Amino acid sequence: MNALRWWWGILLTFALLGIARVFLPLPFMNEVVIFSIYAMGCNFLIGRVGYISFGQPAYLAFGAYACAFYLFYFGTNPYVGILVGVLGGLIVSLLIGPLFVRLRSDYFAMVNLALAVIVFYLTQKVLVGITHGDNGLWFLTRISSTPLLDLTIPSHFFIFSLLLAALVWAFYKYLDDSIYGACCLATKINENKLQFLGYHNFSIRLLAFVIANSTTALAGAMYAVYLGFVSPEMASPSRAADPVIVTILGGVGTLFGPIVGAIAYTGMKDVISKLIGNWELFIGFLLVFIMLVADKGIWGSLAPVLEKWLFRRKSPDSRGHD
Amino acid sequence: MITPQLLISGVIFGLSIGSIYFLLAIGLSLCFGLMRIISLDQLLYYSIGANITYSVNLLSGNMWWGVLAGMAVAALASFAVERVIFLRIYARDPTFSMITSFGILIGGIGIIKYFWGVVPRPVEVPTLLQVSIFGTEVPVYRLIVIAIAAVVYIGIWLFLHRTIVGKAIRAAIEDVEHVEGLGINVSRLFTLTFIIAGALSGLAGGLHAPLIMVDPTMGLEMLAFVFMVVIIGGLGSIKGTLVSALVIGQVVSLGSIIYAPMAQMAPFVIMLLVLLIKPTGLYGSPVFKR
Repeated sequence: MNALRWWWGILLTFALLGIARVFLPLPFMNEVVIFSIYAMGCNFLIGRVGYISFGQPAYLAFGAYACAFYLFYFGTNPYVGILVGVLGGLIVSLLIGPLFVRLRSDYFAMVNLALAVIVFYLTQKVLVGITHGDNGLWFLTRISSTPLLDLTIPSHFFIFSLLLAALVWAFYKYLDDSIYGACCLATKINENKLQFLGYHNFSIRLLAFVIANSTTALAGAMYAVYLGFVSPEMASPSRAADPVIVTILGGVGTLFGPIVGAIAYTGMKDVISKLIGNWELFIGFLLVFIMLVADKGIWGSLAPVLEKWLFRRKSPDSRGHD
Repeated sequence: MITPQLLISGVIFGLSIGSIYFLLAIGLSLCFGLMRIISLDQLLYYSIGANITYSVNLLSGNMWWGVLAGMAVAALASFAVERVIFLRIYARDPTFSMITSFGILIGGIGIIKYFWGVVPRPVEVPTLLQVSIFGTEVPVYRLIVIAIAAVVYIGIWLFLHRTIVGKAIRAAIEDVEHVEGLGINVSRLFTLTFIIAGALSGLAGGLHAPLIMVDPTMGLEMLAFVFMVVIIGGLGSIKGTLVSALVIGQVVSLGSIIYAPMAQMAPFVIMLLVLLIKPTGLYGSPVFKR
């Protein structure tokens, strides 16, 4: 029974996503699934460790470019490409993590944003020789077909990304329930107390930083394989707030938040861009509005209502979903 | 390879770009020092200042009226934003204000796009005079920019150290609650500081307009450099902001003489090195007071 409760949320969500595939266009669904993986990393950083990072596009670009370099210069297997992308993100975050996690949260946010801009310049101007600058790297035709799930076919890619998203989601759910997840939350709330309890704040934060940014790099690598090309636009500072907006829109620190946020954000982006064309105006004021009025986000405000409605007849100690 | 002429013009160029960084960063730094908010929307007032300068210059033919108008509009916009939005979020975490102000910045860029379009537009330099410094021809306009920044620094210093309001602001940077306890209207102090910051950002935009192209996303392009200036100098320190703005200006300018792509990368490397040694920047206070 306990195991069932643990799993029902994930089964239901991804079954719903699978069903939605029938009604909604495929590119939209692919975008939503990749975006939700992207937002999950950011959500972990904000909700569990208390670090707001405006530099997520940098890690996205690290993953995407690592994957792209592999697919453009060396191999053809998309699975290996994604693995290389994740490894790239892992190595980079291990290298810069020790420097960044020492910082206060406000400095952390600013340094990360600066990093995103630097990565943008790096890919656009400095490393033109291997990144081809603004033209980007095109390798869609180089990706080879693989047996079971052929990633070059969008519908197969959707199944793959859905499975991967479920895996990532389950991983974060597991983290949340573990002692480590509790430690992360404790560094956010009261780091001194945690230190007195004998835990090492630095290593907890470093691990969280590496986990979250590897997830982001995974999303980047998936974008690279899905689109078949990468360009510096990925790390553009004007998109720096995207994952933060999605996370806050969905509900900070909730497990379903990133998915709900990704659906809402991608949907609005499609509709609004078609209607008024001035996307920045809308998203900017939406962000201000959310921050001022409903900073719990969509899922954060919806969950208590749903819980009350769904679990009315259950005993009060049942945890339900969170 | 590097001739004295090149070096002198490089130093002057660096000083002028450093002055622009200083004018912009001082707003961020003051806002953080006093109100504990990270006010990314300063870059919006910078864009507003530049765009107003462009329009007024086109209408009246005199850029200095444009700069003044840009400052005025930027100050008005910052006043409105402070009263409507920031008033509600002072009590919350600094990163919270960062997200909100990023929303204001992006939304404001949308408004600028609506009024001025997306095409980059040049603003003519008000004076094409050149003066000779040690045998190098240097544009007078850049010297004027440096002079204005110097006047602003002295003005801010005098304001903070010689007037009662400035002294109250400095005291509030140290401890807001005690200042409030003395019966000083802290809320009005915040508004005043925010307007000064916004006006200085507008001034920076107006002065920078003839040196670059004016377009809606110019604020985002400056974002990283201003951040690096503020982080290297230490949040909340005016002296630190001046020092690091001048350093970054020289690094950008002289770096691009030596190897062009380095101009963008070197400030970042410097920032990482400074943070490695002192995580709060050169002149930042080590403890986080609320």
